[in-house]
Amino acid sequence: MHFENIADGVRLCAQSTDKFKTCRINISMAMPLDLNVSARAILPFILQRRCAKYPDYIMLSRVLDELYGASVSAGVIKRGETQIISFSLTAIDDRFALDGDTVALKCVQLLCDMIFDPLTDGDSFPADIVEQEKRLLVEMIENEMNDKRRYALMRCEEIMFKDEAYGINRLGTVENVKALTPEAVYRTWQEVLREAVVQITMVGSMDVEPVAAILREHFSSIKREPASLSTKFIGKKGEPEYVCEEMPIKQGKLVMGLRTGMKDEDTNTVPMRIAVDIFGGGTYSKLFSVVREKMSLCYYCSAAFFSSKGVVMVQSGIEDINEEKAKNEILNQLSLVAQGDFSDDVFSSSIKSLTDSVISNNDTPESICAWYATQLLRDKLKTPEEYVGEIQSVERQQVIEAAKTIKLDTIFMLKSNGEAADDED
Amino acid sequence: MKINEIRNELLGEMYYDIDHPSGLKILIMPKTGYASTYAIFATKYGSIDTMIEMKDGSFREIPEGTAHFLEHKLFESEDLDAFERFAKTGASANAYTSFDRTGYLFSCSANFRQNLEILLDFVQNPYFTQATVEKEQGIIGQEIDMYKDIPDWEVMFNCLRNMYHNLPVRIDIAGTQESIAQITADMLYDCYNNFYNLNNMVLAVAGNTTVEEVLEVADAVLKPVEGKMAQRKIIEEPREVISDYCEKKLSVATPQFMLGFKEEWDTPERTAKEEITMEILLDMIAGPSTDLYKRLFDANLINSNCGFEYFTGFGYSCVLFAGESNDPKKVSEEIKKEIKHFRENGFDEKVFERTKKKLYGRMIMGMNDVDGLANNMALSYFAGENIFTDFETYKTVTVEDINDMLNKTLDEKYSTLSVIMPN
Repeated sequence: MHFENIADGVRLCAQSTDKFKTCRINISMAMPLDLNVSARAILPFILQRRCAKYPDYIMLSRVLDELYGASVSAGVIKRGETQIISFSLTAIDDRFALDGDTVALKCVQLLCDMIFDPLTDGDSFPADIVEQEKRLLVEMIENEMNDKRRYALMRCEEIMFKDEAYGINRLGTVENVKALTPEAVYRTWQEVLREAVVQITMVGSMDVEPVAAILREHFSSIKREPASLSTKFIGKKGEPEYVCEEMPIKQGKLVMGLRTGMKDEDTNTVPMRIAVDIFGGGTYSKLFSVVREKMSLCYYCSAAFFSSKGVVMVQSGIEDINEEKAKNEILNQLSLVAQGDFSDDVFSSSIKSLTDSVISNNDTPESICAWYATQLLRDKLKTPEEYVGEIQSVERQQVIEAAKTIKLDTIFMLKSNGEAADDED
Repeated sequence: MKINEIRNELLGEMYYDIDHPSGLKILIMPKTGYASTYAIFATKYGSIDTMIEMKDGSFREIPEGTAHFLEHKLFESEDLDAFERFAKTGASANAYTSFDRTGYLFSCSANFRQNLEILLDFVQNPYFTQATVEKEQGIIGQEIDMYKDIPDWEVMFNCLRNMYHNLPVRIDIAGTQESIAQITADMLYDCYNNFYNLNNMVLAVAGNTTVEEVLEVADAVLKPVEGKMAQRKIIEEPREVISDYCEKKLSVATPQFMLGFKEEWDTPERTAKEEITMEILLDMIAGPSTDLYKRLFDANLINSNCGFEYFTGFGYSCVLFAGESNDPKKVSEEIKKEIKHFRENGFDEKVFERTKKKLYGRMIMGMNDVDGLANNMALSYFAGENIFTDFETYKTVTVEDINDMLNKTLDEKYSTLSVIMPN
């Protein structure tokens, strides 16, 4: 793995390998999760569909077809209290190009054209394009309710973190998006180029140096002032909050938000990951083996650990009438983990399973890129092997201690209002 | 034992195709430099198999959702269930049931041999009791309810239900609350004995392993069986769709649609060439680089969440266009208009070449991951092909093939529009 700082707050992380048949590049740019999220959320979509050289997305799409179906995707995620916008490109490796063609460098150049040389209209993006992208982003936000499992999780986060930056939706609100002006989005683009903490991750067989040279050149013209990014870790205070909402749905969705009491992302994080895995991770976990398999209450019941904020979210799809039964049993299972009521076999299953999935990250270009891209705020990047070393050195007692600090904060229940349509046949 | 090597020079890939004496087809692709290995043990039995062949050659009907139910129950055994056994090795194990197959799989980066033993062993040793069947009805009941709230799923099944009168592709893979209530332990044994015959199955492995390693486990664990392939019943289906429009209300923000074009062929399954020809044809009509796409996008009629699929399997084939739109009927009209335009004017050779170039790249890009490779090996085997077939076949497709395909398919007389409206 090749690491290089190519500008202030811009790191290149490249793995040269011919293990895969593709080259993949991910450019991730992190900014604070604050009230300007919508202006930044619309950016990667405006930029990925056109640029000064190819002003129309059909034109750009055809250029990608000619590059053997290379694909570009834009993304916006929340990690801790940072918003990360990203561009990912996948193309075939140069060795498969026909007639001595080269693909990788052309793709890097194209990606740079999109990010650094967009289609503009003076000191603004063209108004019609911003309008179109606003329509698409509004639909994206509105359609987040279509997936009820994700929607319930999102609602629980909004309620639980209403007084913290973490409660801000990564895309912002429909009102935020509708209020965006072409000029404001343009200014945000310049701000992101100047202030974002950037990581470029690359996996493929191409030479690193020519790619680094292109990137260095683009960043050299920008006066960089990288933002200082941090996340507040807050412990549970007071009684748990309970919110219930109704919708015309068949199956109820229960979400329970818990806080771990962690002080920052790195302290005690590995024992906590194992504790959450034993509580509600693999098939050996308490939630799967008891709430699903023994009690037949649900098809899914699991706990996810968000180390970047030190919180645990439990999710389950249940019949509304089983809400109390499920909630009580989920909390009971957590207290059993905290009392050390799990076998050595389960402890060892968890370590083996986490080890296996971390090591498997080395086997796809997407997961290698994601592994490093999510660490963009770290000074020193961890390899999967280093992380496995940490997992395997955890003692059983540390897991029990970690589980003891997990406290229920918020319960959100999405119930049926009795109006879900039944099938005709 | 016959061991064939299947190679593709350009890709620099090869895998072994083995007729194991037990009757099982085994496909192995060793990959250097990979830490993980993925294995899938699959049978040609899915939700469309709602009839079992009896000894006298007649067919008996079984409840909808039985294949999926059996998949859940096969993980259980008299002592340690399969999940508990995999938990000891660290592998990640799972299973799925689709329209025409059921697959049991794991991926691991350690203890491969032990994992393969567990996989082959639990799939060969069913253990069903009335008590465990009843317990599973609760879990699957919740799975069925969960899907009822997923608009993409509902829009598709409403489309299929509106297109097919008789073909079981119209039923939900997991069945219904009522149909799964009829399932008994005896019924599961009957289905198991009919469809889980090694001659009806395949084992595909890709990743950090060797032929020797896989065969050692296979030789030790596979129990030879009498050669018998499960027969699929051919079901009569009228040419017409049931109706050209159906609508359902769900809790969604933007209406969702699926436009289906029903096809009729003389043979139950499509060839590799037919599938690739259709893939190119659809990309040239409605892909992201087409005029139609630009028109719909600029008129605010679609967003980037849209696409199409050539949906085929034993006895059924149809084209499905899907997306989100505030005016699904208008989108449907525009698609039909564009089809008519190409029927009258044919396709441009240059666009055709560009589309083929894209397809070439996409096929290569799909050959990275061990899970994709193993699944593809299994799937191609069931289709009577190998994973490099498409790679050779696409070269033979001409623009005339595309025009011919268009003349045979995408007939609006046999189309239906399924819509999910917000409630």
